[in-house]
Amino acid sequence: MVDRPLNILIAGVGGQGSLLAGDVLATAAVSHGYRPVVGQTFGAPRRGGSVLTHLRFSDIDLGPLIPYGKVDVLIGLELMESLRAAISHCGLKTRAVVSPIRVHTAATLSGEEKYPEEGAVLDSLASICGEVYDLDRLSELDKALASRSLNMYLVGFAAGLAEEQLPSKKVRKAISDIVSPPEPSLESFDNGLAALKTTRSYRSEI
Amino acid sequence: MIERGTSEVLMSGNEAFARGALEAGIGFCASYPGTPSTEITTTLMSLAKIHGVYVEWSTNEKVALEACAGASWGGIAAICPMKSLGLNVASDFLLNLNLSGSGPGGLVIIVCDDPRGHSSSNEQDSRFYSKASYLPQFEPSTCQQAKDVVPVALDISREYQIPVIVRSTTRLSHSRGIVKLEKVPKRKHSAAKDIPDDLYNVPSPHLRHRMLLDKLGDIAIEFSSSPLNSTTKTAGADTLIIATGVAHRYALEAASLFDSMSLEVANLVTSNPLPGTLLKEWLRGKKSVLFVEEVDPFVEEQVLTLCAKDDLSAIQFFGKHDGTVPSHGELNTDIVVDAVARSVGLDVELLGDTTPKTIEKAKALLVPRPPTFCTGCTHRNVYWAIRKIKQRLKDKLVVAGDIGCYSLGVFYEHAMDTMQSMGSGIGTACGLGQLHRFGFESKVIAVAGDSTFYHACIPALINAKHKGADVTFIVMDNATTAMTGFQPHPGSSIQEDGMVQMSLDRIVDAIEPDFFARGNAADIPDAIDLIWDAVQKDGLKALVFDSICRLEEQRLGVAYEDQAKVTVDIDNCWGEKCKICVAQFSCPALEWNEKTDHPVILEHECIRCGACIAVCPHDALKEE
Ligand SMILES: Cc1ncc(C[n+]2csc(CCOP(=O)(O)OP(=O)(O)O)c2C)c(N)n1
Ligand code: SF4
Repeated sequence: MVDRPLNILIAGVGGQGSLLAGDVLATAAVSHGYRPVVGQTFGAPRRGGSVLTHLRFSDIDLGPLIPYGKVDVLIGLELMESLRAAISHCGLKTRAVVSPIRVHTAATLSGEEKYPEEGAVLDSLASICGEVYDLDRLSELDKALASRSLNMYLVGFAAGLAEEQLPSKKVRKAISDIVSPPEPSLESFDNGLAALKTTRSYRSEI
Repeated sequence: MIERGTSEVLMSGNEAFARGALEAGIGFCASYPGTPSTEITTTLMSLAKIHGVYVEWSTNEKVALEACAGASWGGIAAICPMKSLGLNVASDFLLNLNLSGSGPGGLVIIVCDDPRGHSSSNEQDSRFYSKASYLPQFEPSTCQQAKDVVPVALDISREYQIPVIVRSTTRLSHSRGIVKLEKVPKRKHSAAKDIPDDLYNVPSPHLRHRMLLDKLGDIAIEFSSSPLNSTTKTAGADTLIIATGVAHRYALEAASLFDSMSLEVANLVTSNPLPGTLLKEWLRGKKSVLFVEEVDPFVEEQVLTLCAKDDLSAIQFFGKHDGTVPSHGELNTDIVVDAVARSVGLDVELLGDTTPKTIEKAKALLVPRPPTFCTGCTHRNVYWAIRKIKQRLKDKLVVAGDIGCYSLGVFYEHAMDTMQSMGSGIGTACGLGQLHRFGFESKVIAVAGDSTFYHACIPALINAKHKGADVTFIVMDNATTAMTGFQPHPGSSIQEDGMVQMSLDRIVDAIEPDFFARGNAADIPDAIDLIWDAVQKDGLKALVFDSICRLEEQRLGVAYEDQAKVTVDIDNCWGEKCKICVAQFSCPALEWNEKTDHPVILEHECIRCGACIAVCPHDALKEE
């Protein structure tokens, strides 16, 4: 076994592009010599439900689900789903990058339930994960949203976090190989990667 | 598919099954969609022309299996992929075909179970069908094995002229891994001149049974030397883990976390008939054995029987029978770590490093996210209409439900009251619709989707008419099989070359319901009137609603930008006092703004279908 497999978990809501983000990272992993295993949930849960994509990069076929606490990088495409995934799979070794995007549920749209406050979610994430990076609402992030490539913005940021085990150059190459058209995705990827330099990890105020 | 080296590709378990079928030389595939099996057939369909393979979406799994048997009788190798529930539908035929034989072509059934029921109405272990039908069964554990078992299964099927079952589960079918490919040989499939003699079991089914058992005995011997089964051969191990399918990978990973102990991990791929000789070899010298398999203790119980016979009772067994492994739900590495720890008598701490208190606090923040109808889905409109009728009838209405995207009706103010198997909405309504004679006061509606209608509703609909059941039967006809990913069916408007479009209306009409009408699901007031009218009448009433799947529409490139925008007329809105649009209709494009006390239309989400306009009782939602 590789001394340390790289475990990446992508959390989001159906339609946010987590499957494509997973494919990009897995393609990059192949080019770097790993034997990736990708576990996905799809089918009925895709109608607006939570979606988790498990990426496990090693040199043997690991199980398709990341064990509890073993996530190295959490890519949170949606705020509350990031916390849901952290609760079920993350721990002190986890570095989480979290989008500020909220997708409401039927109950939070109607006001029957309250969508949790961003601060509370981040505090809670920080109490579970080793490091949490909450993405600022920079114009680049809005641009990624507008070009429907928020997933690649986060992949860029995460590629920076995982640089040692998976060079971001290879991830970028994977985007040009499998995403069409690649341009908006590459731009979002570059912006996400650049954002890592200016984003400090979240410190709870309490 | 992602290439690594020359012939190594990253593919899903389902793609690997399809690839294995092509490498094996399959010429025929008949199937009905169902998560998690669908992509085996869609992959084959996309490659059918290149490889000269015939692939069809049949009307249901029983028909699919029958069609595959026909092909195999005629000398063409056939594959029949389906989900767990599909094998229930096909089982009547399967438990006859096993005795009759599948002829010279070869027939492989791939059944995909869904532990935890991520995308299913139940949790079941379909492996009992291999026991019930005395048929050989394979359980691959990696994507590579998924590809590799198909040619082996086909060879056995040809040699013994019986169907062979391959069992997958969601985590294999839907996970991706590296697969080393073999060549797909160039083949010209040609049919036999004739089909075999005696393709029936009468007058002596019991003798056919004996013949089949004899074959199974021979296969058990063959399986004992199958290279597909393997163990880690750990030196000096006195504990053995016997694992099948994807659970084998959880077992391997779990065992690696106990590296100070010596544990042997065995992968049993041929799980029926049990390769007794091999198992006895594995068990020799072991003090304890742990079984790890998805859903039922299938291998576990067979091994326990084997050991009772051969007096290996000195071994201590752990598994589902003693609660070491849970008997329901889906497995994962953590559960297997826990089971290993218990069977070797160790106390392991949770692998994570957070305290239960932190987790409890975090959990308190979460709001559940049940799946919902898409924005603009007309199924929501029909259920809205049904909810209105229910109110008018002071709740004296039962809605017998069925399986499809429209099953989400159970999460929509319980607009749908029941949900079992495909076709069972109109089936159970045949009973409910007779109860007025016993004083049952509620009106009865049965709902179905169009794909479900062709799959399983017709016999029950005939029964309802024949027996005079008092039922309103509603078909939400969106011309596609939406839930499983938009597969065409006999009524779809777009048909493959050589297939004809059937008319659902004419089929329903031929059954001569006492009242029959077509409605428009996009028009809520009309739908309410039509359903109200129908439930007032006696006898069998059939309503077919023209419905729209918005995801299918997007796929086909329909744009809505030129439709009029929907806006909120704040002067008319009654605010919190009413809130019907957001709190009750629940379209994902409508959000409640607490500050202004009015709804807001989320422009990025709205598809301008205008359905909500009719829902507002105060004329506050309007076309711009
Ligand atoms: C026996 C069986 N086969 C397959 C499935 C998988 N499945 C669930 S819903 C569905 C079809 C739904 O299509 P339709 O009735 O047209 O409704 P829609 O989703 O389009 O609203 C299928 C095939 C199943 N649940 N049971
Ligand atoms: S996929 Fe189609 S049928 Fe299913 S909920 Fe969405 S719009 Fe409705």
